[in-house]
Order: sequence, then structure tokens, then C-alpha cells
Amino acid sequence: MSPLRWWNDLRHARRLDRQSREELAHHVELAVAEKVRSGLCEVEARREVRLELGSPDAVRETLSDARVGARLDALGRDLAYAWRTLRQRPAFLAACVLTIALGVGSSTALFAVLDAVVLKPLPLPEPDRLVRIHDTNPAAGVMRAGVASGNLADWRQRTRALRGLAGHYTMGRTLTLGTDSEVVLTAQVTEDFFSVLGVPALLGHTFTPEETAAGLFNNAAAPVGADPVLVLSHALWLRRFGGDAGVVGRTVSLERRPFRVVGVMPAGFAMPEPGVAVYLPWGFSGKEPRDQHYVKAVARLAPGVSLPQAQDDLRRIAAALAGEHPGTNAGWSVTLVPLREDLVGDAGRTLVALLAAVGLVLLVACANVALLSLARGLEREHEALVRLALGASRGRLVRQFLMESLVVCALGGALGALFAFAGTALVARSEAGLPRAHEVAMDWRALAFACAAVAAATHVSGLPAAWRLSGGLPAAGLAGTPARVARGGSRLSLRDGLVVAEVAMAVALVAGASLLLRSYRRLQAVDPGFDASHVLVAPLFLDMEGYGGKGRSRTYYAQLVERLEALPGVVAAGGATALPSSPVGPDFDRPIWPDGAPENEHARWRAWVRVITPRYFETLGMRVVDGRGFDGRDGPDGALTVILSRGLARTLWPDGRAIGRRLVVDYSTAGTYPYDVVGVVDDVRFGGPRQPPRLEIYLPHAQKPYLVMNMAVRAAGDPRHLAPAVRAALHELDPTMPPHSLHALDDLLGATYARDRQTMRVLSAFAVTAALLALLGIHGILTHRVRERTREIGIRMAVGADRSRVLAWVGRYALRLVLWGVGAGLLLSAASARLLSGLLFETGVLDAAPALAIAGLAVLGLVVSLHPAWRATRVDAAEVLRAG
Amino acid sequence: MDKRPARAYVPIDIDRRAPLAAEKLDLLILKTLALRSEHGYGIGQRIEQMSRGVFKVTLGSLYPALQRLEKDGLIGAEWTTSENNRRARVYRITAAGRKRLAREQEDWERVSAAVTRILKTT
Repeated sequence: MSPLRWWNDLRHARRLDRQSREELAHHVELAVAEKVRSGLCEVEARREVRLELGSPDAVRETLSDARVGARLDALGRDLAYAWRTLRQRPAFLAACVLTIALGVGSSTALFAVLDAVVLKPLPLPEPDRLVRIHDTNPAAGVMRAGVASGNLADWRQRTRALRGLAGHYTMGRTLTLGTDSEVVLTAQVTEDFFSVLGVPALLGHTFTPEETAAGLFNNAAAPVGADPVLVLSHALWLRRFGGDAGVVGRTVSLERRPFRVVGVMPAGFAMPEPGVAVYLPWGFSGKEPRDQHYVKAVARLAPGVSLPQAQDDLRRIAAALAGEHPGTNAGWSVTLVPLREDLVGDAGRTLVALLAAVGLVLLVACANVALLSLARGLEREHEALVRLALGASRGRLVRQFLMESLVVCALGGALGALFAFAGTALVARSEAGLPRAHEVAMDWRALAFACAAVAAATHVSGLPAAWRLSGGLPAAGLAGTPARVARGGSRLSLRDGLVVAEVAMAVALVAGASLLLRSYRRLQAVDPGFDASHVLVAPLFLDMEGYGGKGRSRTYYAQLVERLEALPGVVAAGGATALPSSPVGPDFDRPIWPDGAPENEHARWRAWVRVITPRYFETLGMRVVDGRGFDGRDGPDGALTVILSRGLARTLWPDGRAIGRRLVVDYSTAGTYPYDVVGVVDDVRFGGPRQPPRLEIYLPHAQKPYLVMNMAVRAAGDPRHLAPAVRAALHELDPTMPPHSLHALDDLLGATYARDRQTMRVLSAFAVTAALLALLGIHGILTHRVRERTREIGIRMAVGADRSRVLAWVGRYALRLVLWGVGAGLLLSAASARLLSGLLFETGVLDAAPALAIAGLAVLGLVVSLHPAWRATRVDAAEVLRAG
Repeated sequence: MDKRPARAYVPIDIDRRAPLAAEKLDLLILKTLALRSEHGYGIGQRIEQMSRGVFKVTLGSLYPALQRLEKDGLIGAEWTTSENNRRARVYRITAAGRKRLAREQEDWERVSAAVTRILKTT
């Protein structure tokens, strides 16, 4: 019934009630007047009328009960009665409410996360028309890469399938306000970026075509255009400018150059990725390379064009470009993916599995409350029977017990919603490796889910007790003798069934959690190829203005390494453009081939380029397996040298040593030269343990100076304690170049599989909760069975049964529940294996890991039955007989 | 046999002492209203008078019956203002009510005549 209808009915009922009162009063007045006319005094007349006609109030209630709104009144009375009954048993109430709060709270929080990450469209206009464009080169094994900036302009000119196409690239840059420098994440965006996404500026404006045309960058991605401008993110505007509306037109210093603020983006604009604080216009000179696939592209489909049609069109253009520029474009094509899918990735799979798990927890919680109600219901059997005998209908009794369950679940749901509020706030702030986490919040959808969960929980937890109690026979219950004759042993009662279901669900959750735990352990056990402990990482973004000159960054980094290594507690210091697990730094690949390879093999291999300082391998604990690392010989004037990853060496020269060979690196605009291979280093898992090792080459920083470096310091003790000293050393060398961040490397490595860790922890928490509830269920039902049979046990013991037989009875009972539960649980986990298989790392769903955990749970189930069993043996036969 | 003397002079509460009559209260109300539209008190008075004081109609029997009849559409009701300016709810019989009255009256007469015949048989 809708609330409006309910309200109207209630008001209507009130009005009718007032009318009855008036009508009855009128009747009484006329009768009194009649008596007075016949000579009685008024007081006497009233007394007589009341005796003759009865009480008008009672009649009014009868009338109102019979009316439409009566059902609602009765509902209110049932509620009040339920509350009074529950309040008498605060412990029972608290246990039930907490259990439900746990179930409803965790499922609501998870739903809110799933909703924000997977279900809701991106918070942009017509988000389903937005696509991500990837370059692909299946022959070279590249399935999804960034696009090459040189091709972007051609695509824009030649396609009519897109209404707009924009490129963007993010990197850290140093922002200086007054004397305070910090590294912020910046996004350089091409023309149309904001119009493709359909989001205008909150203050000022986004970039004009002229501003974009002037926004030029050099090879090192340093802004070099005249009169540079930028747009601020909402968060940075609030944090650094206090939300001052006058910020537009002000000048800030970015990489030591003055930039004019032209606009501020609205809150909630989290493109191209959350955390971007500054937007820079990116104009193309027309000489952009066609073979550096580092730009991310986003486009909006033209009206009426489907994604496959747009993809066909762009593939046609890519094929044409491959014909026009065979040297750079041969073999390259494109793939279009819905933008949301690209941003969210496979996070949905994790969340669906967790939501299924939390659904089980909620069911176990409901089953437990149902068991508690049933157990309590037995104590209230007498009440139910008396009420049946007095003429209450069974429907009314069912309603009454459901009402109690509703009160419990509503209270639990309210508490659970509070849990969910706290939980989602935690997720929104955490770095759980979840895309769109910043959008996670409790909203009306999540609240609606909570209400649905409460409604479901009310029925699941209330119906068994209501069902059982309303089915009693009044005569048997009122006769005064306990109607509990021991029943035959083999049938499972309703309560047994509930316990079995609880155990089954707990078994499935425990099995799932132990699989994830096993998988997580395997992830942790993967050798990343470096030693992440005792290492502090500080990414540095030197700017063009200060360090662009010849060799200046080389001098800076050489001095920095010297200073860092001089710090007490530092074992070694070194740096790399891109460091395993560090999310920042230029991470790109280039075509390579053995010197002398025929030209048709030049596009066959690509290797990821890392430019490093001499003691980088020692600092990271990487193993040189052949040849040597870089040292003074690999200076700016020495022969060009390269070190290969073991996988690359084996790929290129499977039969012999790589040392002494020459490798050609096609460095695009920076030239294509052969390098002498001087060493081979063991493979590293660059993107974390889940990612297979890549083919990598290492070049000496002295020969190929880069501005951006991830500096690393190996400490003798806890690397975090070195942070202040490292910061001070950096400040001493150049106070305007603060580090982007300071992180321990094992934290960074851990972050690469943070989602695995979170999933494992959350599922383990669910499993433990469900297991505890199931154990409580076993304990509870056995306790009640023993109590029910106290009389029978006493009599049996009186006629000679010894304690071991009593123990055996309880034990058999517990064993039966546990075995049924484990059996059903195994079926349930087999049925849900598919949900989990995608999350596991090198762990099959048939892994042995769960067996032990399930066995443990079964043993615990038997252990908790010891207590009721012990109580059964303490039944005093004499006392039972006396009482009977 | 019941040896108690008939006590016709004591009014009978229609709901407590005369279940047979209580069941037929609907019929009596319809009959009353068929003669004239009345408010609740008036209906009670008429039944009392017409039964020559044998039936005494209480609030508890009269008003639920009126509510039932109204719900079934056998009678209608509306608020009027009486001569001394008090609001009163006046009931009237509907066409459906008249039809029902005719049928029930016929049934009753047949049944009561039969019962009387049986009881008079010596």
C-alpha cells in the first residue's frame, strides 16, 4: 500500500470515527431527554440510559474496527504489542538486531559500491555515447595501447562516425604558489576534450581554439608555448585558493613558468582520471610522431552511429594511414571500447562475487534470527495456543509474529544503514584499487536496497516461527502437559533445516575465502624480480625551464645520488624513468631488433625502455645474471650501451649469449642507433605479480638523460624513517623541486594487488561472520533440543541409560547437522565456483585449500555441541521425576 | 420443559436474551425504515414501540447493524439538521433494501408460522 493511500485511509477513518461519536452522543441525549420528560432527574436518567443502552465508547470501537481503516489500526496495535513483547527480552532483541544490522549493513554498503562503480552511468552527459580508442597491433602482441599523437589529427579530419575526438596525457608537474612547491597531477588535453565529455567550466571557460593552438610541448613533454594558460580542478581550487571566485585571471607558476588561470572545473569532474588537479591545453604542431603510442583518446559517437560502425570507419582510416606511412603505421589498427568499460575494467566481477557472498551472510543472519525466534516461540507456544483458543485467527497470529520480526529487522536495518554509511565513506576514501571509488556514496538507491533487504529479512526470519506457532492445536497445548513427545530421529525438522542451511552457506563462504586466501598467498609468493623491502621511492619531475639544458639533469641526478648515498642508514641509491610498481614516470616501449636483422624483422619486437642510474640494480635488489651493470664506463662520451631483461635476451638470442651483441633501438625522433649489450638482468614483474614480465631494455642515464626519474633509496632499516632526510637532501639540492611523493616500495608493490587483498579480506570477514553465526545456530538448536527433552532424558537415565548414551545422542544429532550442512555447502560452492574463478591467481576452484578450512569448520561445529551435550548429561533424573 | 413463567413484561435486550430476534434485527430495521426514514434513536424507539416494549434495542446491537446494512447498500444515510438545530444522521431504505425486506419477511413468516404450528401441536 502506498504511503499516500495509507494516510488518506487513516484520515478518512478518523473522520468517520468522529461522526460515530456524534451520532451515538445524539442517541444518548435523546434517550436521556425522554427519561427526564417522564419525571426522572438528569443524573438518574443518565444512569438508566447507560444501563439500558450500553457504553457508547465500546460501540464506537466496534464500529471503527469494522471499517476500512480498521486494518491499519490493527497494524499499529500489532506493532505496539510486538514492541512491548520484544522489550521484555532486551538480550534477545539486541542479538537479533545486531545480527540483522550486520547482514543488512554489509550488503547495503556493497550494493552502494557496486552501484557506483558498475551500475550507474558515468556522471557525464549521454555517457553511453563515449568511447575509448586504443591502438592495436595484434602481430606484435599489442592488444590495447595508447594512440599515437601523429594519427589523431588524421582521424579527426577523415571520420564522420565521431562527433568529437580528443587526446589527453597525464603527468606530474611542480606547481608553485608563493614559496610553496608541490607536485600535482596534470592532464594535457587536446582541442575538444571538454566538449567531447560535455562538461563546461564552473568558473571562467575551458580552452579556446587559440589557447589550444598555442599550447605546445617539446619532446620532453615540457610546455613551451607562449602565454600559457591552465584550468584548475575543483578540488585544487578549494584546497589552494580557498574557493576564491576571483582566481580566474590570476597567474600561478607551473614548472617555473607563469600560467594564467582561465577556468575552474565543477566538482565531481574526474576525467581523465580522479586526482587530476590541473588541465593544460595541448596543441599539435603537425610534426607529432606516428609511432609513439602514449596518448589516451576519448571520443563521442556521432548521432545514429553505433560503436561497431565507428570502429569499422576508424579501422578503414588506420588501414589507409598504414599505406601512407608504412614505416610507422604498418600493422597498426584500432579498437573502440565503451568509455565506462575502459574505466571500470573487471572490477565488476569482484563486486558481483562479493555481493553474492554478502547475500549469503544476510541469509545466514536471517536464519539465525529465525532460529532465535523459533526457540523463543517454543517458550511462547502457550501464549499462541491461548490466543488461538480464544478465537484469534491463524492469519492474525502469523501477522503478529511477522510484526515482531519486522520490528527486529527494521531496527537492524536502521543500524545497518548507519554501518553502510560508515563503510561507503571508508571505501570512497580508501585506495582499494577500485575505479570510480570517489563516486561511492550512500544514496536513495542504496537506501532502497536496504529497505528491500529489510523486507526480505523480515519474511525470511519471521515466517518460520509464525508458521510453526500458528499451526499448534489449542487443546493439546492447554491440557497442561508438555506436548513434546520425543519424535522419531531421522526426519529433519524446520529448525534443523535452518541450521543445515546456515552451515551450508557458511561452508560455501569459508571455501571461497580460503581459495582467495590461497590465491593471495600465491600472489605474495611471486618473485617480482626485485627486493621491495627497505626501499623508499621518490619520483621527481625536473622541469624543462630549470634542467632542460644540455646535461643539467645528468648533473642533478649524479649529485643527488651522491648526496643520498652519503645519508646515514642508506645502503644504495639509484633511479629509473619507470620503476616497477611506481604508478608515475614515462613508461613506454620502442621497436628494437638485433643489429643486422633484415628490415622486415624491424617491427617484430618492441621493448619497454627504462633509463637508469648506475647503482639502480643494487638499490632495487635486481639480479644481474650475465655481464655487468652500468658504471663509469657508460658515460656521455663512452660507447652506447644497453642491458637487456633476461626474457628479451632469450627472445632475441635463444641459442647464445647476448653479451657482446648489438641491439638497435628505434628511438623515433631521437634517432635510431645500435647499442652494445653489456649485461642481462633478471626479469621483473613491472605491473605487479599478476602481470607477466615484459621485455625490457635498460639505458644509462648518463647517455640518455631524462628529466623525470623515480629515485629509490635502499635503507638498512625501515625506509619510511629515511623520508625526512631524503626530503631535506632534495630541498638542499633545489628547494623548488620537491618529490612527487615518498613511498616505501613494498607499499607500492602491495598497491598493485590491493584489490586482491581487499577482496580476500572482505570475503574472509564474511566467511568468519557466517561461520560464527552457523556455530551459534548449532549450539542454539542443540541447547533447545536438550531442554525440550529434559524429561525424557531424565526418565531414560532413571531406568538405566548411562551418560555415554546421552552424549552419543547429542553427538549424533550434531554430526547429522554438520554433515548435511557440509554436503549442501559443497554443492553450493560448486554452483558458485564460476563467480570466483575469475578472481583467482594461479589457483583452480578445485584447489585443496578449502578442504582443510571446511574440515576445521565441521570440527568446530562438533566442538560447540559439547556444551549442550555436557548439559544433557547433567540432567538429574530424580529431580525430573519429582517435577513430572 | 422450562417451568419458568413467561415474562413478557420484562423488556428483552435484543442482543443478549433473544438471539433469534437479534439475527432478525436487520429485518426489523429494514421494516422500520420502510415505514419512515429515521435517525438511530428513532429506529430504536420504533422497534420498542412496535414490539410493545418486548424488544429493547441497545447501542451495541443497533449501530453495528446499521453500519452493516449501509455497507451492503440496503440502507442509505445522510446528515440533517433537526428542528432544535442538532445534527442527526437519518437513515432511509434503498430499493435493494426494500427487495431484501420483502424476501426476508416472506421467509420469516413461513418459518415462524411453521414453528408456531409445531409448538401448538398437542
